[in-house]
Amino acid sequence: MQQKEKRVVVTGYGMITPIGKDSRQTFENAKNGVSGISLLSSFETEGLPCRIGGQVDDSGLNDFTAKGLQGIEKCSSRGLKLMISAVSEAAESAGLDSIQNRNRIGVSLGYHGENPSVEDLVLLHRYGGAGVWDVSGLTKTGVYSFFNFFRRKPDVATSILSILFNCKGSSFTIVSACAAGSQAIGEALGIIREGRADAMIAGGSESNLNFMGFVGFVLIRALSERYSSPEKASRPFDRKRNGFVMSEGAGALVLESLDHALERKAPIFAEVLGYGSSADAFRITDIHPKGDGAVFAMQRAIADAGLTASDIEYINAHGTSTLQNDQIETLAINRVLGERAKDVPVSSNKSMMGHTIAAAGAIEAGLTIMGMNNGIVLPTINHEFPDPKCDLDYVPNHARKLEHGIALSNSFGFGGQNACLCFGKFRQ
Amino acid sequence: MKQNLIPEQRVLEEVTKAIAEGIDIHPAIIKPESSLMKDLGAESLDFLDINYRLEQSFGIKMARRSVLDHMEELFGEESAIDSDGKLTGKAAEVLSMRYDGAGLQIQAGMDMDELPSMVTVSSIVEVVMNLLDTLPDKCVNCGAGNWSLQEETRIQCGSCNEAASFTSGDDLTQDWLKQIQESK
Repeated sequence: MQQKEKRVVVTGYGMITPIGKDSRQTFENAKNGVSGISLLSSFETEGLPCRIGGQVDDSGLNDFTAKGLQGIEKCSSRGLKLMISAVSEAAESAGLDSIQNRNRIGVSLGYHGENPSVEDLVLLHRYGGAGVWDVSGLTKTGVYSFFNFFRRKPDVATSILSILFNCKGSSFTIVSACAAGSQAIGEALGIIREGRADAMIAGGSESNLNFMGFVGFVLIRALSERYSSPEKASRPFDRKRNGFVMSEGAGALVLESLDHALERKAPIFAEVLGYGSSADAFRITDIHPKGDGAVFAMQRAIADAGLTASDIEYINAHGTSTLQNDQIETLAINRVLGERAKDVPVSSNKSMMGHTIAAAGAIEAGLTIMGMNNGIVLPTINHEFPDPKCDLDYVPNHARKLEHGIALSNSFGFGGQNACLCFGKFRQ
Repeated sequence: MKQNLIPEQRVLEEVTKAIAEGIDIHPAIIKPESSLMKDLGAESLDFLDINYRLEQSFGIKMARRSVLDHMEELFGEESAIDSDGKLTGKAAEVLSMRYDGAGLQIQAGMDMDELPSMVTVSSIVEVVMNLLDTLPDKCVNCGAGNWSLQEETRIQCGSCNEAASFTSGDDLTQDWLKQIQESK
C-alpha cells in the first residue's frame, strides 16, 4: 500500500541581503521600503554602462577564525560565506543542532560557484603562452592557489555546508539561474514528503559582483543602464524600468516533516504546501510570449498544494524590473488567477534588494513567510509610472497591513526555467 | 561628404550572410523586406549576434541603444514613447526619416512591442550604410586621403594601412538627433 505523503513545515529561516545582515533586519528594511542598491565598490566599474548593484555588508558574515575553521575558509567562495551566515541563522532558529539522527538531515543548495577573477586568468595565461602549459612553473611560484578550484565548483559549497552543519543525508546543488533558490526548496520538499529525510537545509546563494560575473549581463544588455540614482534603478512593473540590478545575498530555510517537528517541539513558521516547476522550452533569453512556462509552474504549485487559484491571497513576484519579465509575469498571473487577479496583491522584493539570482527564491521564500506571520504585505518600491501592460495591484511604494494565509512565490530563470512555491500559515 | 566605397548591393550581401549565419538559416529565404522576427524567426539574442558579425565585417561600431532611447535622453522623457507605451508622433517622424529607404510602415500610436518586428533586412542595410557614410576625408593616423578597400568590406588607409575610423552608432544617432533639433 502506498504510504501517505508527509506534510512539510518550515522550522527555521535565515538570510543575508543588501538590506540586512539577517532576516529580521531585512524584513524591517523591506517593510520601510529601504533600497539596498548603490554604486558598486566590490570592483572597478569605470567604463561599464551599469555601475550599480546590491552589496552585502561584510560585518554580517560569520567569523571563521573564531570557530577554528580556517581550513574550510580557504575553500570557501564569497557566495558560500554568505550562505553559511544564512544557514547559521536558520539552523539556530530551528534548533537543528538538537536533532540526534544526522543521517536524515540533507542539504539542497541553489548556487553557481565563484567566477574566476580577471587577474587569475591573466596569471594562468602566463603559464600557457607558448602553447605548452607549464604546471611546475605555476606551482613553483605559488601565486595561483589550488583552493581556487574548490571555490569555482558549486558542488563544493554544498558539501562544505554538510560538513559545517553535520548533515549526513542527501546533499546536492541545483544550478538553474534565477530559479535555483526556489527549486532547491521545492526539490527538498519532495525528499521529505517521500520520507527520504526528516529535515533539509534548503536555499540559495549568489555573489557575482565582479567583472566576470557582470560582463555577460552587460553584453546581453540585461542590466539597468538608465537611472536617476542607484536606489531608483530597480523598478519592477514600472513603465520606466529598463533592466535588472544585480545583487548578492543568501537565503536558507530549514524544512522538516510535520511529525518530526511536532515530536521535537520545534517552532513551526509555515507549511510548504506545494511546488511547481517547468521549462518554457522556447528560447535562450526570450520568455514565452504568453508566459506558458510561468503559468504551468504556478498552476502546478497550486494543484500540488491541493488548492485552487481562488485560494491564493498574495504573490511574491519574480518581478525583476526587465521589460519582458514584468510584462509577461503579469500576463501569466492574469491567466492563472482570472478575474480575481486584480484583487490579489503582488509585490517584488527585488525593487529593494535587486536581483540576487540563485539566492532570490530562497530570500523571497523567507520574506513571504515573515509577511504571512506578521500580517504584512511588503511593497514594490519605485512604482511611480504605471505601465498599462502591468495592470495588477503591485502594493506600490508602501507596505500594507493584510492578514493572509496562503501565498505563492515565483522564480523564473533565464533560459525559461521556472519554479513556484506555495506557502501557507501553519494550521494543525 | 558621403563616401561610397562599398556599394549598397555588397552591404546587402554581407547583411544577408550575417543573418543567415546568426540565425542559422539558408540565405536564399532572406529577402530585403523580410522581418527578422516575424519572417526569419530571430530572437533577441540573435540581434546582438548579427550586430557583432557586421561590426567584424566592416570595422564599424553598431549602436548599443535604440534611436528611441537617445530621443528620450535628448528631447526629454515621454518624447518617444508616451505613458501608454505608444510611439509618439515625433518618434514616428524620426524613425521614418531614419529608415526612409527601408520602406517601414511606422506610425504614431503604434505599440512599442510591435517595433522589434519592424526590423527588416533593408533597415539593417540602411543602418550599416549610414555608418559607412561617416568615413572621414582623411586618415586620422597619417592624414592621407586615399582609402583602399580590402576583402570588399574593410576600408583602410592606402598610405599607412590604418583601418578607417567610423563614427560609432550611438554617436551618429545623437549627432543626427541634435541636427533635427537645431533645424526646427
